[in-house]
Amino acid sequence: MPNKIEDVFGVAAAIAKGMGVTFKEMMSPTVTEYYPDEPAKFEERYRGAHVLQRDANGMEKCVACFLCAAACPADCIYIEAAENTETVRISGGERYARVYNIDYNRCIFCGYCVEACPTDAITHGHGFEVASFNTSTLIKRKEDMLAPIPPGAKPPVIAPAGGPAAH
Amino acid sequence: MPDLVKLTIDGKAVQAAPGTLVIDAAKMAGIEIPAFCYYEGLTLQAACRMCLVEVEKMPKMMTACTLPVAEGMVVRTETPQVAQARKYTLEFLLTNHPLDCPVCDKGGECELQDMVFRYGAGESRYTEEKVHTPEKQFSPVVFFDAPRCILCFRCVRICNEGMGVGALGVIYRGVLSEIAPNHGDHLECDECGACIDICPVGALTSGIYRYQTRPWEMQHVGAICTHCGDGCKTTLGVRNNRIIRGNNRDHSGINGEFLCIKGRYAFDFYDHPERLQAPLVRKNGKLEEVSWSEALDTVANRFNQIRADGGTFGVIGSNHTTNEENFYLRKFAREVLATPHIDHHRTGDVTALVDALSGKTGRMATVADLYNRKAVLVLGADLAREHPLLSFQIRANYRHHQAHVYAVTPGPVREDKYAVASVRVASGGYFAALEDLRARLKAEPELVIVFDDSFKGPDVHRLVEFGESLGIPVRYICLVDYSNSRGALDMGLVPGEGGMRLDEMLAADLSALWVVGANPFKGTPGVPGSVARKARFLVVQDLFLTETAEQADVVLPAASAYEKSGTVTNTTGEVQRLKRAINTMGAKPDLEIMGFIARQMGAAGALGPWVPETVFAEIRRTVHGYDIPLPEIDTGGAAPTTPVNGRVTEAGGPRPDLIRSDHNGLFASGTLGRYSKVLNSVLEGRLDR
Repeated sequence: MPNKIEDVFGVAAAIAKGMGVTFKEMMSPTVTEYYPDEPAKFEERYRGAHVLQRDANGMEKCVACFLCAAACPADCIYIEAAENTETVRISGGERYARVYNIDYNRCIFCGYCVEACPTDAITHGHGFEVASFNTSTLIKRKEDMLAPIPPGAKPPVIAPAGGPAAH
Repeated sequence: MPDLVKLTIDGKAVQAAPGTLVIDAAKMAGIEIPAFCYYEGLTLQAACRMCLVEVEKMPKMMTACTLPVAEGMVVRTETPQVAQARKYTLEFLLTNHPLDCPVCDKGGECELQDMVFRYGAGESRYTEEKVHTPEKQFSPVVFFDAPRCILCFRCVRICNEGMGVGALGVIYRGVLSEIAPNHGDHLECDECGACIDICPVGALTSGIYRYQTRPWEMQHVGAICTHCGDGCKTTLGVRNNRIIRGNNRDHSGINGEFLCIKGRYAFDFYDHPERLQAPLVRKNGKLEEVSWSEALDTVANRFNQIRADGGTFGVIGSNHTTNEENFYLRKFAREVLATPHIDHHRTGDVTALVDALSGKTGRMATVADLYNRKAVLVLGADLAREHPLLSFQIRANYRHHQAHVYAVTPGPVREDKYAVASVRVASGGYFAALEDLRARLKAEPELVIVFDDSFKGPDVHRLVEFGESLGIPVRYICLVDYSNSRGALDMGLVPGEGGMRLDEMLAADLSALWVVGANPFKGTPGVPGSVARKARFLVVQDLFLTETAEQADVVLPAASAYEKSGTVTNTTGEVQRLKRAINTMGAKPDLEIMGFIARQMGAAGALGPWVPETVFAEIRRTVHGYDIPLPEIDTGGAAPTTPVNGRVTEAGGPRPDLIRSDHNGLFASGTLGRYSKVLNSVLEGRLDR
């Protein structure tokens, strides 16, 4: 049969231990992020909205090989390829993606596309604010995902308005 | 049959006919021996060294592709030495091969890619810089990227042996060796693209398919080429309702891997900018775009009114539309419009041939017969230009079976190169030439006679008499021009009792003329019909605003062969199924258009549903010779029709003077050919006309 005094001491010790943790944490620096007042912080490997990279010359790295679309388990990547010409040069290879869409209604951010990419063109950025009230805005086009032209790069020959003809 | 040779491959007892190559014997036993340069049907090359195997009692490894089987031979394909040889051969082949698979058109269906994945080393020991030469364009359809080439010589051999053209060769030596075209920097050839399809890597690429998509992104639909009458199967690569390429890599259909420029590339007319995509009705003397319902109402009301007034209808069918459409059109004309005035443009006298062969069976040759029979007699036609598949078959027959080929033609033909006898004749001199050849033909064990529109009417009867007098089994092929010329005739698009013929219809004062998929008003010199229209109401169903459609009161935009389902009958009478590959906005299949007109007229009940399968079931029941086995055509094959006596009942028989082949060469295809960008872009096409 438990002693009453033992009981009281036991409870007091438990409270003291718990408060010990509380006071210790009060003294240490805070881990709470003040999003959205401050920007959110991410680990490098975080898989956010995709970014299509450019090379040092500002050319698109994507050569429209369709491997990302083939690897995608959600089938959310749509590509149309076209050939670089003397006058219109978009990517470093012979071919470039005339159309590159990712349907964020379907994307599960698994990162297979990034793994599949032979030219490191598609990467995961840290963008996570992709929610929308209108699902039709969730299909992102190439222009929405392209990285900015790096400073000091010779800008690529920009396709004429409306894009080059398909063939 | 000679005794089979017994040998052992990887411990398996194998039996093969003498002369079989080890690589084939292994394949029969289910053992794969990898190879690039070995290609069934072509001469042996032993250039790639990929098929090295160990053979007991032979000091060194042997190339399985050149080694015939021998009694008691013991072959090993899975030893460490063989695996090492394969690995090093691939490493060697990759010495200069760029690793640009992500960009290369062949990526995903590349034999080198597959082999390296399966047998190759992950890394190369070569540190030397790869030799790079810029890509070359041989012609509008053939591009050549030299560094990717592994020098297997397949393209050189298929062009020389398969096509009989020999437009490709090899220049320079050693590491600098390169495939080169016959005219220095460009090709002058058939532009068939066989070299592109046979290339195991991405060295030869197609100007049409180039950088458009990747092989796994397409759906592959087996269609029948709509151009000439040979009925080649072309597998269309479709993506997003667009046809991106045509080929026949799966070797299905009567043509195997063969396709000419038309089958491989000339599908591109379907998205020509001038393609009709809305019905047109003539208002105040001008054709204006209207809705489908308005156009169908206009036609149906006018047809009903003419019917009520007791007017006369004329109906002209097509050599391109499917059997179902032709059958439905005939039924429509006969039962609803109650007119005997039905006809279509004849391009060969099949009627006379069927007539002359009355009472005999198994006398119509198939495409396969041209490859299997021991002797072939070609009369009149330049097959290589007009019927490339038949020419290919005869050439393969000569190469593989040393068939005897006789060519009796007005001008030089490709068959001359390997014919046992080539005779040049002026028109009318055919029978004299045949009499000269009689003794030699009589000595043949069997014969296939191929003739074009140089023989019509009584001449066909005389030719059959000649064939029958030889005393050997003779089969016949009557050449016709377009994808379904045979079908149009078999479905009975011919004048009934007292009916007018095509030329008479054009000149007659008809109440209404209905032209489905034909262009009779095209002003070909010396052909009746170059006159302006006489009919009071002209309805035209076509893909384009042709010379005929321009004069119409109502133009209904029709779907092309690649946009509808149905069956077609080729020049040898073999039926094949068409499958819908794409849809084109605004255009409807002719069968559907006719069905809608019938419905608007309140006459659909008499004609039955306008569903291809239902109509074909009726064709099988009612048309002589079309009771063909369905499994054969449903699995992508061809089923020969069996002509029966009096199959085509035509009052008075066809008029020989109206039978006229267009003699389209490789780069022309009647009215349709004008709208193909590819056919008009190749140099030879411009030289050919």
